[in-house]
Amino acid sequence: MTNADSTPKLEARGLTLAHRHTPVIDQLDLTLPPGQVTAIVGPNGCGKSTLLNGLARVHAPAGGAVLLDGGDIHSQPSREVARKLALLPQDNSAPEGLTVTDLIRFGRQPHQGWLQRWTNDDQTVLEQALAAADLAPLADRPLDTLSGGQRQRAWIAMSIAQQTPLLLLDEPTSALDLGHQIEVFELIRQLARQGKTVVMVVHDLVSACRYANHLIAMTDGTIQAQGAPGEILDRSLIHRLYGVHCDVIQDPASGTPVLVNLRKAP
Amino acid sequence: MTLLTARQRNASANLGLALALMAAVTASLALGTVAVPPEAILDVLAGGGDTIHQFVIRELRLPRVLAGALTGAAFALAGCMMQTVARNRLATPGIIGIDNAATAFAVASVVGTGIAVAPSAMALTGAAAATALAFGLAGANGTRGYRFIIAGLGIGAIAGAVTQVMLSRVAIDAANAAFPWTVGSLNARSETAVQVLAIGLAIGYGLAIALGPALTTLQFSDPVAINLGTRLKRTRALSLACAVLLTGLAVAVAGPVGMVALLAPELARALGRAGKVPLTASALAGAAFMVAADLVGRLALAPLELPVGLVTAIAGSPYLIWILVKPSSRSLS
Repeated sequence: MTNADSTPKLEARGLTLAHRHTPVIDQLDLTLPPGQVTAIVGPNGCGKSTLLNGLARVHAPAGGAVLLDGGDIHSQPSREVARKLALLPQDNSAPEGLTVTDLIRFGRQPHQGWLQRWTNDDQTVLEQALAAADLAPLADRPLDTLSGGQRQRAWIAMSIAQQTPLLLLDEPTSALDLGHQIEVFELIRQLARQGKTVVMVVHDLVSACRYANHLIAMTDGTIQAQGAPGEILDRSLIHRLYGVHCDVIQDPASGTPVLVNLRKAP
Repeated sequence: MTLLTARQRNASANLGLALALMAAVTASLALGTVAVPPEAILDVLAGGGDTIHQFVIRELRLPRVLAGALTGAAFALAGCMMQTVARNRLATPGIIGIDNAATAFAVASVVGTGIAVAPSAMALTGAAAATALAFGLAGANGTRGYRFIIAGLGIGAIAGAVTQVMLSRVAIDAANAAFPWTVGSLNARSETAVQVLAIGLAIGYGLAIALGPALTTLQFSDPVAINLGTRLKRTRALSLACAVLLTGLAVAVAGPVGMVALLAPELARALGRAGKVPLTASALAGAAFMVAADLVGRLALAPLELPVGLVTAIAGSPYLIWILVKPSSRSLS
């Protein structure tokens, strides 16, 4: 298990990300707290998914840089980066008929050399990933026969098998019902406890507050506030983010912020 | 659920296809106007046998079978790689117009338009030009999406028309000499072109296998492939170059033989395991399909000979339709 000191540092310096010459993220600076769960929140189209893709080197910057361990992520060998950083994108369709085990095996690919065979270590990691995601009984099932929550756990298991200290997830619970959402969030929390640095784009603000210890609130490609959810989340921030009025109270069970009395701003 | 593990399933698919290829080769060597019994084939291959058998096997049938196996493997491997890179089962070299362009260039050299270069070099130039053009016209999406395919369809149609124009304007003898190029035939192949193809296939297959793991990740979305450490641009460029090389050199031998690049990978995929890019299996299936089709072409209306391209088209189309209508098929998405 990794600890926070040895975790690779991921940061953005003057990062500009553009879609066809239109900047979505403009000159953004950001350092992700190692060993913590960071949630990126904000209204639709604020650039949170773009930022995550930029951090995961999927979206090439139009300016500035993403630094992994102090070096430009785009000038590092892609396979080496793939051993440090795993991304779970939103669009995760798989070839038809692919089984859970087949999928998780892909997570070992960055660790395998040219023509290198599947080793005992790879097998051990595969079995651990299956167990961690509670998928052992479904190991040989094709992905297209699973429920949405099970399928998402299989993808997370692939990321686990990738054995990266950094894990980036783009809306890992979108399109999942409440039970499956909790299932996936609990798994993410468990991974963070084992020392992974987790960054996730989350749509639901209350879930973000419950499962993240660091919150990044964005609008229009810029960071409005960041810090512990309980410290930064208040009425005025929510109004700036979503243009709605509400009251913020404390969840008596988890101690995290909850929004009540939501209403449209006059 | 299944008695075979995934790895065993792949190995047995390759083994089965290799056996099918051997059967097709043996039948092609044995059957024809002069029937040669299997044990006589072995005698000839070992350096013995009677003179008629020696002539029939060594001079007539073996070179032709070899040319068929090599072209079939090359077309199929190129098809499998392009389908994977474009993430579209229709994106085979034949449909993208690479075959037709390679043919147009090769015909230009054969009918003597003053360009005195070997057909292999000309076909390769044509294949590369068509691909570059299709790629250029496809715009920002590159090999992804339908723009690439539609651009390729247009290029193929133009190249086909150019070939027809060239053939209609030259003396009848020259047009006759170039005719096999328009349908795909193993009858009028050049020895040099076959040798060049053999070398090209060895290089192309090596490159394909080296690209294998990266190609496998292209079955997922771009972000997933990048996440797994795949260098997308490099993988796509090398795969495309490999497909161009294989298609150009194969066309230089046999002309534009349709359907092999489309069907052999389908067959290979149906036999192999999900989530694999069946490079070796495609090459074996393509070789077996081509050799068998040429045999049918030689025997069906003997002594008249059907060009192999006609047979692959006739045999291939129903199979394609069957794949399309077959319910719950994972072999055509």
